[in-house]
Amino acid sequence: MIRVAALLSIGRHPASGRARRAGLDARGLELALRMPNAEVRAFHAGDPHAASLRDYLGMGLETLNVLNVAPGCDPVPALVEALRGVGPDLIICGMRAEAGEGSGMVPYLIAEALGHAVVCDAAAIECASGTARVVQGLPRGRRREVVVTLPAVVLVNSAAPAARAPAFARARRGRIVPHPVEAREDAFLAACEMRPWRARPKRMAVPSGGSAQERMKALTEAKAGEGRLLVNPVPEEAARAVRDYLVEKRFLRGAGDGDGRG
Amino acid sequence: MKMRRDPRSEREARRSTGGERPRFSLMVLKPAVGRLRRSPRIVRQAATVSISPRLRIAWNGRVAPQASGAVLAARAPVETMRVVAEPAFHVLVVPDTDGEGGLSEIDRQLIAAGRSLADSGGGAVCALALQGGDDLGGAGADRVIAVTGIEPLAYDPEGRTAAVLTAIAILSPRHVLFAETPDGSDIARRVAARLGERLFAGADALEAGSDGDTRALRRAQGGSLAQSAKLPRLVSIMPDAFPLHAGLPHEGRPLDEVPMGAADRRISASRPLTVDPDTIALEEADFLLSGGNGVTDWQGFADLAEALGATRAGSRVVCDQGHLPRERQVGASGTLVTAGCYFALGISGAPQHLQGITRVGHVVAVNTDLHAEMIKRADLAIVADAQAVMPALIRLLAERKGGGDD
Ligand SMILES: Cc1cc2nc3c(=O)[nH]c(=O)nc-3n(C[C@H](O)[C@H](O)[C@H](O)COP(=O)(O)OP(=O)(O)OC[C@H]3O[C@@H](n4cnc5c(N)ncnc54)[C@H](O)[C@@H]3O)c2cc1C
Ligand SMILES: Nc1ncnc2c1ncn2[C@@H]1O[C@H](COP(=O)(O)O)[C@@H](O)[C@H]1O
Repeated sequence: MIRVAALLSIGRHPASGRARRAGLDARGLELALRMPNAEVRAFHAGDPHAASLRDYLGMGLETLNVLNVAPGCDPVPALVEALRGVGPDLIICGMRAEAGEGSGMVPYLIAEALGHAVVCDAAAIECASGTARVVQGLPRGRRREVVVTLPAVVLVNSAAPAARAPAFARARRGRIVPHPVEAREDAFLAACEMRPWRARPKRMAVPSGGSAQERMKALTEAKAGEGRLLVNPVPEEAARAVRDYLVEKRFLRGAGDGDGRG
Repeated sequence: MKMRRDPRSEREARRSTGGERPRFSLMVLKPAVGRLRRSPRIVRQAATVSISPRLRIAWNGRVAPQASGAVLAARAPVETMRVVAEPAFHVLVVPDTDGEGGLSEIDRQLIAAGRSLADSGGGAVCALALQGGDDLGGAGADRVIAVTGIEPLAYDPEGRTAAVLTAIAILSPRHVLFAETPDGSDIARRVAARLGERLFAGADALEAGSDGDTRALRRAQGGSLAQSAKLPRLVSIMPDAFPLHAGLPHEGRPLDEVPMGAADRRISASRPLTVDPDTIALEEADFLLSGGNGVTDWQGFADLAEALGATRAGSRVVCDQGHLPRERQVGASGTLVTAGCYFALGISGAPQHLQGITRVGHVVAVNTDLHAEMIKRADLAIVADAQAVMPALIRLLAERKGGGDD
């Protein structure tokens, strides 16, 4: 039996701005619920009356512990205190929150305070006695397996399996257990200036040197493909050309270089 | 300055009042009234700086006219490298690793961002060389610290964190810049948590604040808000947010190597897993083998994908016909792919298909039609029968695997 804690924050739909369950946190809860022989507890620091918390309960949680932290306050000390009381072997969180600052610092601060190991970008978790094997989902579909000593904080990214849909009856049945806590205001966030985001034009690399005409030409000239063209080669010649091109651009293992792109 | 005659105002001066029709007297000549017109020729002559070797005119009048030739004679001796001998402060740059040992694009952007911070106050950019052997000076670094005791290419976030902490302790930099990439952002947060300092995560831009300080800008609240704050010590920087260093190369002088420092390692083993390319989502895949209506040998297509280690994809026609599942369709009504390499077999290149591959790096196309749009789009275009090229390529790849070297 291993003790698992899932940290759940409230998400925000990117287009409409409506509150919802946070995508990555729900994936994390999904991983926790799928884990065999695990005792899962869930924590949220924030408003216990938030309606979107019911979506997490609908995924199959019996209870959700909510630490009543006012908006704009730092949730970390309250979460650390609550987790210390439970002493989980594995803490599962999302890589970034969708609402608020979303800097992804919360899990690292919790791990630092509790003295746990951290593994990021998790796509799958498998627990053995005292250790966990975590498969990390990296860009371009690559995967890496790491072994970490428990207790650990594991951060889930979007390569993890999608969260199940919340069931309405379960969402109604589940209990939200509020815990009163004291929290301080986050001074750094209060000092930050917030304004609506405006997309900036994409940066172009401005060529230097040469005359003004040459610089203008380098910027505006359409960059066509390299445009190598073979017309009606014999198949072997065509195959060699393709292979040499792929090897040169490192999409294919070249002669002699170990494992190519890894 | 001599003024030109203004015939209109002279004519106005001759107008006599009263009467139905306009009348002008030829006898009275009043002095010209109104604004005097300037003579463009005379103004231009006064603004001409030099005529040879080429005409130079300074309309703003800020350049005093010189004798021609003097411009060329007085040229300063050519500088080839910039040296910051006594820096007022240090900016520490922690490069990301791209897994192959080279300086990646984001590393150069990081050093350039550090450069702009250092140049605003006479500081020096100090790059941490986790892998060694790169042209850090050319990218804009003044100093390079090599770290001993860490595996250059291994996945070791805890060791790297210890190395960065040691370098921070030695150098006490004013700013530390990290890359907001999967591995870089992990190390940045570990360092910030260990130091108990606030990390400004994922800075998108630096801007001048109202009271002369530098402020950093990032996207918060799922991207809908811009959060700006006075630049703290620890900053991680988004890829493609900063331009590369374009000026002279910097010194890149190696400082004393630093030992990594004690790392308490709890991530004990790591290894890359081989992934079945067909399980990778289309928009994530790096190498796509895509078939169109010109492919008839679908078994050969599957064998080729396996031999290349490529993810299979197709045009709408082949998905409609059921040769590939629907989620493998590339194009406007399918997936917009971002692969590094797109290998198209027998695809005509309809606009709806080309829309799906605008963000692809390299395109290789095989088609029997010389005038197909796909052939025009390709970096390597081959006018041939796909059914003949596929087995030839499979044979060639098998030969290499069996024969070892060639
Ligand atoms: C609203 C709308 C949305 C669409 N969205 C998409 C989309 O998302 N994705 C998409 O792909 N299409 C889309 N289409 C369809 C698109 O317009 C084209 O019909 C389709 O892309 C053509 O596919 P193709 O190139 O495979 O086939 P074809 O146009 O039939 O081209 C076959 C090509 O193979 C070549 N060929 C023939 N025999 C051989 C051989 N033996 N060896 C080598 N080459 C050979 C031919 O010269 C030809 O160039 C859309 C169309 C509409 C109207
Ligand atoms: N108020 C909170 N309550 C519970 N978990 C949280 C809270 N804030 C953040 N987390 C967790 O920490 C992760 C990263 O959050 P952040 O550091 O805010 O980007 C989230 O995906 C959550 O799993």
